[in-house]
Amino acid sequence: MNDPLQERLQAALARPQNLGELPDADAVGTVGNSDCGEMLRLWVKFREENGRKVIDRATFQSFGCETAIAVASLATELIRGKTAAEALALKTEQLAGELGPLPPMKIHCAQLVEGALRSALGGPARAEAPAATAPPAPTLMDRMAAAKPSAPRIVFLDGDGTGAAR
Amino acid sequence: MSAVLAAFPGAQRALFRRYHVGGCSSCGFQPTETLAEVCARNGNLPVAEVLAHLRASHAEDHRVLIEPQELARRRTTEPDLLLVDIRSREEFEAVHIPGSVLLSQTVMQELLAAGTNTRPIVIVDHQGRHALDAAAYFAGHGLQNIRCLRGGIDAWSQEVDPTVRRYRLG
Repeated sequence: MNDPLQERLQAALARPQNLGELPDADAVGTVGNSDCGEMLRLWVKFREENGRKVIDRATFQSFGCETAIAVASLATELIRGKTAAEALALKTEQLAGELGPLPPMKIHCAQLVEGALRSALGGPARAEAPAATAPPAPTLMDRMAAAKPSAPRIVFLDGDGTGAAR
Repeated sequence: MSAVLAAFPGAQRALFRRYHVGGCSSCGFQPTETLAEVCARNGNLPVAEVLAHLRASHAEDHRVLIEPQELARRRTTEPDLLLVDIRSREEFEAVHIPGSVLLSQTVMQELLAAGTNTRPIVIVDHQGRHALDAAAYFAGHGLQNIRCLRGGIDAWSQEVDPTVRRYRLG
């Protein structure tokens, strides 16, 4: 497929930035739908700089859409050094950065990143408890957990149905 | 689409990743729809191109799978090969392949933190039904050397190590 957007996506996905949880984050935002493959969680850590509280680092986890992963990768780089207000002022197309204009069906992916950013920064500027800034949304772990029965009854097929571990 | 999904079990994942189709209620499709109908109402996607993408993704899925015997052989020569078990904790504690680790938030964080990790990783599930989705997730996050155990731990029990007890979920 010689789609220029697809090529830019592949280039962004080849070197994804800022993946994974940020354990000491000051804020966390999540958007997603448990019935939908698209969900994104964003962690933000601030630092003091010349009397301003600016974003020191932002990381993300996502499931599903490669466009959302690419946009999140670019956006988490873009918001470094910005205040929460400056980051919130960024428009969706600015977050997509070098990916360029997105087709209508992909704009939603960038809006997912914008939503996670607003979820993280829209609350108190500095959350004492990151988990309280947004309700927990499903992650891959949750999806996999949802696909399994809770407290499953394990029946061994070799005649010993006690479920005892070996 | 039901026939498409039967022929290409990973079709929904492939459609969503490339075209943002089939991921949620707003872009989902009905099993009774044809591929042409789905393409038509999603920006007139070229059906032939979409079909080619499905075929390529299907072939890619097969390349991600590793046979139990091949995994057993590689484990003897590649000490850094990591087996990541994505089943429930209850299943893992009941039976697991020796040396494998249960996927947890900590393990997930360690795997994703490297970004472009090239460590060989094999995903293990019960019967091979969920591992490809997990592998797609990790591959999408930059893990470059990820495979799935074909048939899961159940196939491992039957083809490599019968001391790993087979089970079903009651």
